[in-house]
Amino acid sequence: MDILANLAMGFSAALTPINLMWGFVGCLLGTAIGVLPGIGPALTVALLLPITAKVDPTGALIMFAGIYYGAQFGGSTTSILLNTPGESSSMVTALEGNLMARNGRAGPALATAAIGSFVAGTIATILLTLFAPLVARLALNFGPAEYFAILVLSFTTVSAVLGASMLRGFASLGIGLTIGMIGLDSTSGIARYTLGVPELVDGIEVVLVAVGLFAVGEALYSLLYQSEQAEGRHRLTSLWMTRADWKRSVPAWLRGTFIGFPFGSIPAGGAEIPTFLSYSTERKLSRYPKEFSANKGQGAIEGVAGPEAANNASATGSLVPLLTLGIPTSATAAILLAAFQNYNLQPGPMLFETSADLVWTLVASLYIGNVILLVLNLPLVGLWVKLLQIPRPYLNAGILVFATIGVYGMRHSSFDLLLMLAIGWAGVLMRRFDFPVAPVIVGMLLGPMAEKQLRNALSISEGDWTIFFTQPISAFFMALTLLVLLVPYLLHKRGIKLHEDD
Amino acid sequence: MAAPRAVVPTQLAIGIGLIVLSAVLAVGAFRFPPEMGFVILPAYVYPYAVAGFLCAVGVLLSYQALSGGFRELDGSNPGIAGGKLGAAWVTGGLLGVALLINLIGFVLAAGLLFACAARGFGSRHPLRDLAIGIALTLPIYWLFNAGLGVSLPPLVNAWI
Repeated sequence: MDILANLAMGFSAALTPINLMWGFVGCLLGTAIGVLPGIGPALTVALLLPITAKVDPTGALIMFAGIYYGAQFGGSTTSILLNTPGESSSMVTALEGNLMARNGRAGPALATAAIGSFVAGTIATILLTLFAPLVARLALNFGPAEYFAILVLSFTTVSAVLGASMLRGFASLGIGLTIGMIGLDSTSGIARYTLGVPELVDGIEVVLVAVGLFAVGEALYSLLYQSEQAEGRHRLTSLWMTRADWKRSVPAWLRGTFIGFPFGSIPAGGAEIPTFLSYSTERKLSRYPKEFSANKGQGAIEGVAGPEAANNASATGSLVPLLTLGIPTSATAAILLAAFQNYNLQPGPMLFETSADLVWTLVASLYIGNVILLVLNLPLVGLWVKLLQIPRPYLNAGILVFATIGVYGMRHSSFDLLLMLAIGWAGVLMRRFDFPVAPVIVGMLLGPMAEKQLRNALSISEGDWTIFFTQPISAFFMALTLLVLLVPYLLHKRGIKLHEDD
Repeated sequence: MAAPRAVVPTQLAIGIGLIVLSAVLAVGAFRFPPEMGFVILPAYVYPYAVAGFLCAVGVLLSYQALSGGFRELDGSNPGIAGGKLGAAWVTGGLLGVALLINLIGFVLAAGLLFACAARGFGSRHPLRDLAIGIALTLPIYWLFNAGLGVSLPPLVNAWI
């Protein structure tokens, strides 16, 4: 099997001290920002993008990947002990985990989250190892028409599936597409929508938008609309899980993994949906429905184990389309794509041929990272909890200082800082009226790609627009798009809602 | 929640804002300079498509705003008393750093931002905050400059 040979090669590269160091730093940072509320993996990777100028691609990408899934590990700690989810995808963990903590079972809740994350992360990495090369080989046959169809599908899923309202998702997408158009059009050489501002000719960096929306927008929004939670922190208890805990956790981990991985690998906007799905599955299947929070129970361990596993599996799953097609399916993956592009690496099927060593080192580092994270999270959980003692003013002020450095460091422009502030206020408005943020990022990043593929496809077909529906693969993706548009409507009709309260 | 059929002005403004944005996009695309040579898909086609899409979304959102408000929206979010003042501090700090960073240098500007933001989030020790902010940004400055080769503006400007 050449997969095994490649993987062995990847491990030998990933286990060099310098790459191990990057992996460790990534996991450490990832856990820290996962624990801290108000700062997430997308923002952190965005702020660290400048290091791509100095660090070699393998090391930097290993670190970024570590941050990505490390944040999923760390997020559970805050949810369980504080009931303020560090990440949006650990919202359901907060439901059951916090309830368990309130009833003196914080330890087992933390343990099942960490071990579940490890199990799910490892299984998902195995799936990634097996499937990614297959998808890449398949994708080698894709032409511009197929890519355009996939991009249309991505646009649709990321805006339609996530969030309460499909319409508001589309509004976000439209804004993202609009931002993506600003700057030089690579094909015609026309500078579009620069409003005479020279800074805009280069376009707007995805980092700037991400930092504006996530860091500045979140900070302002939390000042304006989120009252400080007075609820106290729960005490750590022994991490020991009983036999019954194990018996209930293991199947939940496995189910969570197999829900999370496929959802991560399709453009559905991140880990929120699989975690909610896993939660509702566990609630239906559990033999102890009385323990769930909806039934005023003591907190059910399955409700922590499943979603946490799903959460991690989806983070790994999202690397499949990113590496094989160059299509990000979550905000963090979108920033990772920007990191690849900084190195002039274009993720896609060719990446497996041209940069095989980098891809396989990255994959191997995922296996290693999961082990590092398990070690970091279980015995050291007490240390992470201390992070939560940073006073809120300093935490938020620190995040804003980092945001400023990240944005200003890109090209030393005060204009960028003003733009960041304006985007931050736009982010407040979006959050106030429940417009999802991920479609903005995905739209601005993939919009230009879609236009380019559209042009290429039309020049191949000599201007014939039916090509998207007559080519079988492209037609298949278009049909899938239609399905995605209809499914939420059908789910809604059957009374299924992707909301935390039901 | 708004009463059924009620008009929600802020939401209507968002819908109309999107329609206006789409009009701006369309007008802008109309004024692109002509392209030379053989062009399979002119530069204005995709912007027109995005404009049309935004316009449709804007119209539908406006309709929702006119007929009881955005759907599936948790409307009861009154905001926090004093939140506006905090947000003003944060905004002021960010504005300050944007305008001053080239004047007073990176460390002082970032320290000032730290103090303003901390004030916005409820801290009442401006001098201590400024000191913490500067203590926080100094190592970052060295790390970025020496370690990562990202040059930030001078520590403190020469004339200070």
